[in-house]
Amino acid sequence: MKRRQGWLFFIIFLFTLSIYLLINYPLQLGLDLQGGSQLTLQIIKEEGKVTRDELEAVNSVIDKRVNNLGVSESNLQTLGRDQLILELPGEQNPLVASRVLGKTALLEFRIQKERTSTDLKTLQLQRLSIKELIDRYSLAEKIQNDDNFLKVIQDDLKDIEQELNYSSTSNDLYGKLIEIKKYVDKEITNLFIKTDLSGKDLINAGRRQEQTNSNWEVLLTFSNSGGKKFAEITKSIAGTNQLLAIILDGESISEASVGNQFASTGITGGSATISGNFSAENARELEVQLKGGSLPLPIEIVETNTIGALLGSKNILKSLYAAISGLIFVGIFMIFNYRILGFVSVLSLVLYGFFNLALYSLIPVTLTLPGISGLILSIGMAVDANILIFERIREELYDGNTLTRSIDSGFQRANSSIVDGHITTLLSCFVLFLLGTNFVKGFAATLGIGVLISLFTSLNCSKTILRFFTTYQSFRQKNLYLPRKNFSQ
Amino acid sequence: MKFNLELIKNKKKIISFSTVLILLSLLGILYSTFNTSYKKPINLGMDFVGGNELRIERICKEECSDFSPDSVLENLRENSKNKNLLNNIKLQSQNNNKLISIRTPYLSIEESNNLISNLDNIIGPLNYESKDSRLIGPKLGKRLLTNCVTSLLVSLLAISLYITIRFDKKYALFALLALFHDLLIVFGIFSWLGIILSVEVNSLFAVSLLTIAGYSVNDTVVIFDRIRENLKSKKEGYNETIQLSVNESFRRTTFTSITTLIPLLSIILFGSYSLFWFSLALSLGIIVGSYSSILLAPSLLLKD
Repeated sequence: MKRRQGWLFFIIFLFTLSIYLLINYPLQLGLDLQGGSQLTLQIIKEEGKVTRDELEAVNSVIDKRVNNLGVSESNLQTLGRDQLILELPGEQNPLVASRVLGKTALLEFRIQKERTSTDLKTLQLQRLSIKELIDRYSLAEKIQNDDNFLKVIQDDLKDIEQELNYSSTSNDLYGKLIEIKKYVDKEITNLFIKTDLSGKDLINAGRRQEQTNSNWEVLLTFSNSGGKKFAEITKSIAGTNQLLAIILDGESISEASVGNQFASTGITGGSATISGNFSAENARELEVQLKGGSLPLPIEIVETNTIGALLGSKNILKSLYAAISGLIFVGIFMIFNYRILGFVSVLSLVLYGFFNLALYSLIPVTLTLPGISGLILSIGMAVDANILIFERIREELYDGNTLTRSIDSGFQRANSSIVDGHITTLLSCFVLFLLGTNFVKGFAATLGIGVLISLFTSLNCSKTILRFFTTYQSFRQKNLYLPRKNFSQ
Repeated sequence: MKFNLELIKNKKKIISFSTVLILLSLLGILYSTFNTSYKKPINLGMDFVGGNELRIERICKEECSDFSPDSVLENLRENSKNKNLLNNIKLQSQNNNKLISIRTPYLSIEESNNLISNLDNIIGPLNYESKDSRLIGPKLGKRLLTNCVTSLLVSLLAISLYITIRFDKKYALFALLALFHDLLIVFGIFSWLGIILSVEVNSLFAVSLLTIAGYSVNDTVVIFDRIRENLKSKKEGYNETIQLSVNESFRRTTFTSITTLIPLLSIILFGSYSLFWFSLALSLGIIVGSYSSILLAPSLLLKD
């Protein structure tokens, strides 16, 4: 008896502890409960698997970019070997983040090949026309769909294609425009030779508005060695008609000449500006990308989930209704069938609920909708253990055994079935947790934790509470345990 | 309250009933594979094939005005250049025209935002706070599918191993037969649901199959445990002992199923819509699982 009393205090202690934990460490809610966006980023590698180092490197670049964007409370974590998950809580538009994150931001400085000036000039003109066509196209998209307008764009595009001696393969007009632009960009880049100066040589990037007009420019600050390289490169082409190109992800964003006055030393001072007709937004995006460095491997956004805040709070409410009504009806069912025993199982279910939630805030487990369904489902499984035990107790009582003996052997004999049943469920949870997606993991985690806790609450808490009741003479009448049944003593 | 299921008398009926259920499931799976537009054993949802799903509510003063989905789609088409995309768009309204749900092939975030703002122009104003949008790339979909199939196979293997170690060969074989019977029937029901109501399955369906597997085996194990225990202290014949054991465990098995079904029903009734089909699959699995544990698996153990 003494040992049981020790258990009783232990259980009361655990209960108080869980309430303390729940008050002081509130539960973390997933985005489907609080609203927000979640982006899944896939690292693309053509050959071989993504290594741990590469994953780390991509992770740190993305992390820097997200921080530089000034997104509040974002959360970035890796998923498996080649995916990252970015969570943006609240009403934040994932569009901005997606634009900044998706780019590799590989910055190169190249110098023009000799005797290519005419070629470059033609290509620059063509680039200008194609850019203009794209602008006209988006304008046409904004105003009503005007077939004549599109026809003109189409004809102009054909002219450019003829000049380039290249025909696009895309199905729709917009795809064609983008394809031609990429082709022109590639041709321009091909006119320049790589140097050893790249985005790696930057220590900072910034932006400012140009003084003469409303355009923005991006400022680059080189490291010591980068500054030297830059000086040497500019020195080599100063005063010639070769241009210096700044190339971002294969697209030349600026081509500039270096004046004769730099012929002796090159451009020193360790900084450069790119002024290529940036809007405030574009300049900020470029700044964020350059500050974070370039991605060692390209990434692709493969999944985006956005949930409004209102929907999130509705989901919480709905889950609460479901959980509470489930608990109440299970409670009624149990008390109806098992009387005092049923009441004991309701008490241990309440304990079960608190222990679960407390563990979520301790580990911590982020609560999501599938997670809640795992919790609600595990209520049924927790009750199952009680039912197994109570059925055994009933049988023992019918056989004419005393109450104390029936309770003891009921718990003892149900033991192996309970453990067996729990193990098969735990196996499933384990596999789900290892192989499942983020979404599925939430379910596996709560169901698994639930199954483990129910081993404790159904075997130990129920027994202790039951023993506590049976110390009182008035709770020891057998008809409190067996409904509507006359049996011989 | 003693139960008396006449297992021995009804063995043939039980086995034929299960055979019919299995044949119906197989029929659904075959029909679905060869005679539907998607040509898959089951109607795979967005999680597995990729795409864009959007649900959003309209802001209406009193009742939301009626609209025809076709004319809205026509309007959307006029406002967008990507014709290919909008040929495969589906639009539905629920809750008295308040809730709008749209399915399209995969869109970029930008395209999806454009679609929403176009929609806002046509039947707005929309309540952005109620937005629920999911974009899944086709590559990820394929990966999720392989992931789910591997999870299923691995855990079925783990459960089979556990059962084989834990029981004699005969018991293990019949417990596993009952398990595959349950999974096949739930799968078959969803194949039919896909054919008739175009219900789609997503990754939560795979989760429900896994949970059903754990649950079904658990149920069968409890009854087999009881049979083993009673056979050791055998007073009556082999077949009679099995029937007695089943009747002894009948209350426990049905009660457990009821207490598990109650929370699931409350999710179906009160829970979030995204959990509806998931809870339904689980409920079906639990019903079929109890049937197979109480009636089918022990019947298979009976000697002629």
